[in-house]
Amino acid sequence: MAILNVNPTRMELLGLKKKIKGAKRGHKLLKDKQDGLMQKFMEIIREAKRLRVEVEEKLGGAFKNFIKAGSLMSEEFVEGALLYSTAKTELEVKTKNVMSVRIPQFKLKSEGEVITYGYLQTSGELDMSLQSLQDIFPLLIQLAEIEKSAEALADELEKTRRRVNALEYRMIPDLEDTIKFIQMKLGEMERSAITNTMRVKAQIEAQLAEQAA
Amino acid sequence: MAIIGPREIILGFKAVGIEPVYITDPKEAVEQVYSLKREKVEVDGESLNKYAILFILEELAKEITPEDYKKLSADPLPAIIPLPSHMGTTGYGLSKLKTIVEKAVGMDILS
Repeated sequence: MAILNVNPTRMELLGLKKKIKGAKRGHKLLKDKQDGLMQKFMEIIREAKRLRVEVEEKLGGAFKNFIKAGSLMSEEFVEGALLYSTAKTELEVKTKNVMSVRIPQFKLKSEGEVITYGYLQTSGELDMSLQSLQDIFPLLIQLAEIEKSAEALADELEKTRRRVNALEYRMIPDLEDTIKFIQMKLGEMERSAITNTMRVKAQIEAQLAEQAA
Repeated sequence: MAIIGPREIILGFKAVGIEPVYITDPKEAVEQVYSLKREKVEVDGESLNKYAILFILEELAKEITPEDYKKLSADPLPAIIPLPSHMGTTGYGLSKLKTIVEKAVGMDILS
């Protein structure tokens, strides 16, 4: 592993030791976050798939009905019939915070009648298709909520995983190696200082012995 | 809420209270999604997205490039949801789910 570009001093060693403590703590926290996110994601994703399959099935039918209705009536009539629809939908949006991921929550409030036209000039298919659209509508909202949540969670999960890995396989080993390197270097310097003093002492003693002789 | 798609298909959604945006050209659709995303309304002094959910037909959604999609889905709102048209599903929605799973877990665990 790579050794960071630092001076092998005692000061630096102390700083690095503090840094590695922080990194380890951060790593643990992020790992916990990753586990939490994963748990949440697993809960959601299966539900999302089930919903999507269901919606796709039902919506295909509704669209077919609508196209059929459109082909039986002239377009002006269809649009005219829909013009006076009193249906109003209000979407209440809240955002929930799951592990620092903002997840939308939709609540649907709909009122009014979908079918607000005379039956004389419109075909039965139109009624049917509108009815089925209205039935599917809550499902669509639910799908939107869940899919968006899954997407946001996946995004955050990926980011967290990158951070965890960067800490685990890069930052912490690098710091450990550098600390070891500095400790070795310091030990080496200490030994060299001792041998140096020993050598000087021997020289002085030799000189003294020469003078005495 | 708004839905983006060809006129004859999405007209019915008007009746249930979703604002239809008639578009048939995929390129136009991308621009339209951007501009719909930018629209804001003032509620209690806060500026909120006018559209919380944007439904878009799969045929048009397919043509959105990954880069554009990334930009569009970066914020918590709006949720951009592809819907199958009368032609039946093209599998786009499910493949999108698959990429989400792969991104999160590292492999596809759904199939």
